[in-house]
Amino acid sequence: MDSRYLALYPFVSEASEYVGGLGFSPEKLLSSRALDSARLRGKERVIQSLTGEIEKPSPSGSEEGKILTELLSYPFARILVSCIDDQFLTRKYALAEAKAAYRLLKTQQPEFLQELGLDFQINAETYENMESHDILFDLHFTDYIKLATTLKDLNWKLVNRKMKAGHVRISKEEFARLLQEAIRSRIQNALPLSVPEEISEACTPYLAEINETLEEKKSDFGVGEFQKVESELFPPCIVQAIANVRAGVNLAHSMRFAMTSFLLNIGMTVDEVVAMFNVSPDFDEEKTRYQIQHIAGSSGTTYKPPSCNTMRTYGNCYNPDEICKNTKHPLGYYSRRMWLKNKMEKEKEKKA
Amino acid sequence: MNFKTKYFLKSKFQEYYKTAEIHIPSRLEAREWGFISFDEMPETVMRRHKSFGSRGEVEEYLAGMAPAHAYHSVAYYTYPSAPTMKEKQWQEADLIFDLDADHIPGAPNSYSEMLDHVKKETLKLYDLLINDFGFNEEDIRAVFSGGRGYHFHISDPRVRSLESAERREIVDYISGRGLNIEKIFYKKAISGDAGSENVRMNMLSPESEGGWGGRINRYLVSYLTDLASKEDAEELFTGFKGIGKKTAQKMIDILRDETQVELLRKGNMEALSKVNKDIIQTLALQAVNDMSASVDEPVTGDIKRLIRLGGSLHGKSGMRVTTLSISELEAFEPLTDAVVFSDKPVKLKVIRPFAVQMKGNDLYVEEGTQELPEYAAVYLMCRGAAEYGS
Repeated sequence: MDSRYLALYPFVSEASEYVGGLGFSPEKLLSSRALDSARLRGKERVIQSLTGEIEKPSPSGSEEGKILTELLSYPFARILVSCIDDQFLTRKYALAEAKAAYRLLKTQQPEFLQELGLDFQINAETYENMESHDILFDLHFTDYIKLATTLKDLNWKLVNRKMKAGHVRISKEEFARLLQEAIRSRIQNALPLSVPEEISEACTPYLAEINETLEEKKSDFGVGEFQKVESELFPPCIVQAIANVRAGVNLAHSMRFAMTSFLLNIGMTVDEVVAMFNVSPDFDEEKTRYQIQHIAGSSGTTYKPPSCNTMRTYGNCYNPDEICKNTKHPLGYYSRRMWLKNKMEKEKEKKA
Repeated sequence: MNFKTKYFLKSKFQEYYKTAEIHIPSRLEAREWGFISFDEMPETVMRRHKSFGSRGEVEEYLAGMAPAHAYHSVAYYTYPSAPTMKEKQWQEADLIFDLDADHIPGAPNSYSEMLDHVKKETLKLYDLLINDFGFNEEDIRAVFSGGRGYHFHISDPRVRSLESAERREIVDYISGRGLNIEKIFYKKAISGDAGSENVRMNMLSPESEGGWGGRINRYLVSYLTDLASKEDAEELFTGFKGIGKKTAQKMIDILRDETQVELLRKGNMEALSKVNKDIIQTLALQAVNDMSASVDEPVTGDIKRLIRLGGSLHGKSGMRVTTLSISELEAFEPLTDAVVFSDKPVKLKVIRPFAVQMKGNDLYVEEGTQELPEYAAVYLMCRGAAEYGS
């Protein structure tokens, strides 16, 4: 790949090899005055990921210095995200990088997408549709579901795909969308990097603005306020489960798990959840406590409640409302309601 | 289950394991093993987190301990005998499907009919795995569980790294769950015809298309042409809600005309545009019902599950967990082929009346002391319906 392209897709293996070959140590990346613009651009990347989208320079006509700045801004941005090491930021940042890449990929030639796919171990063959002359991408179904399972629209479900002998054919735009998922998970899973203390200290001047933006975004979003449990903001599935438990109806195992992990994740204690089950017809305090502690992480794994997709498959999705339509996860529903509530309260305050 | 019965069953199982052909899973050193012994019965105590280094070790353990139930993990671990899942370090897992009479709608009550019913389901699953998922025959292993169903093991390296959610997507495909019928029946705008830009043609997925679309086309065409070829076709068609004599006759004409049927196969539905949409929808759903397989979702989604060892005995029936190739599966009669014990008479005390069909014999036993062939005696004792001796 041309270095101009590497600057636009800095997460590919070739780009990190290229940057490695330039011989910039993290120290140099932080101290060299010549790289000041790369550092500023790195900070900008992170801020843009929180406030909107990461803007990319146009691939044609950029001069060499600008290309280098763009290329080196990426490792620096990753160092900054790692210094802060906040899950919300990491997710937002990875998503924004991936979305920016998607916007560019849609405009590229099929061969380019195919080559990029190889960097993610996705072997896609291309075919021309004889009728429409569009180029289609042919993927093995395992590569397809690894990327498509996280997508919410039902059209991405394997059952709605024209699968033949283990292969699925998709359009260029769809392939670009799947690559976005691959990019997002690669970036997200590699973060945080372990940052030595000296480096972390040297980054301090860049962190204040990011932290400020992050706090602002978080309070808008209602993140970090799960400490206070607001039961009126629970999604309908959880409300229904609680109502059933209170009425003495036995829950299916999968629903019991969903409800328990949900309540634990939003900040209820094991004792509080045990107390909720105290009315179950087959209540056995010791057993219940043991199971809840297990879900809470006594074995070393903390469990998240199942996604809406999984809830649906198990028949645990109950009476979805308007907010459910734009939600993938019961916890997402809760934080969204929380955000809406905070927003309304803020508006009220303003008026008052 | 009293002490004498336990002792008898254990010694019978021991005898079996001395010469049994055990189906050792691939990469056996990376598997976790679990066993339930007769000793603690009726308590079910699973001894798990075991690991073995060789076939010889497994066989020695089975012949020595003669467990009532033997399992290995579907997963491959770095440290299979570590006490917690986290420490085991999951690497990958075979893809498993479980077809169990308990989870298949409309399964009959008698054991032999129930097993027949499940077997039909296995053949549907097999068809999907080969044609839609493109697995090779050698990559699919069917296993009769020794109880009420079958397991399918797929060890194709490409599926082993799949996570739970991805495996559930496969289950949804196999059971037709979440299928968007609207995408299969659609309208296509026709361009080029001067002055009639608004013409929209009724279409469905062509028969050659992959996935459920092509399947539904093939089902619809074969179902409808089959009806139309019958002598009482008009009566059959007017039997559908909303189809009158005129429409019925028109449909029959179309469906008996090979050129028109060919258009249908290619996805042009115009010929059936007069037919009520609900009828077509109902037939499409019928197609999905007919070709989908009811696999037990949580089993496939569980990438750390223990599953019965091929060649071991099922402690609740005394029958063999039987590994089968596809051609063997078609001819397989579980109540004969999975029975391993002899015809030698054994005295036992029957606790409750019991009926079972084994080795082609209808056995019906009353309460009280009886003499039965060994295989049936073992079965009854394993089921908890009899105790050993008189």
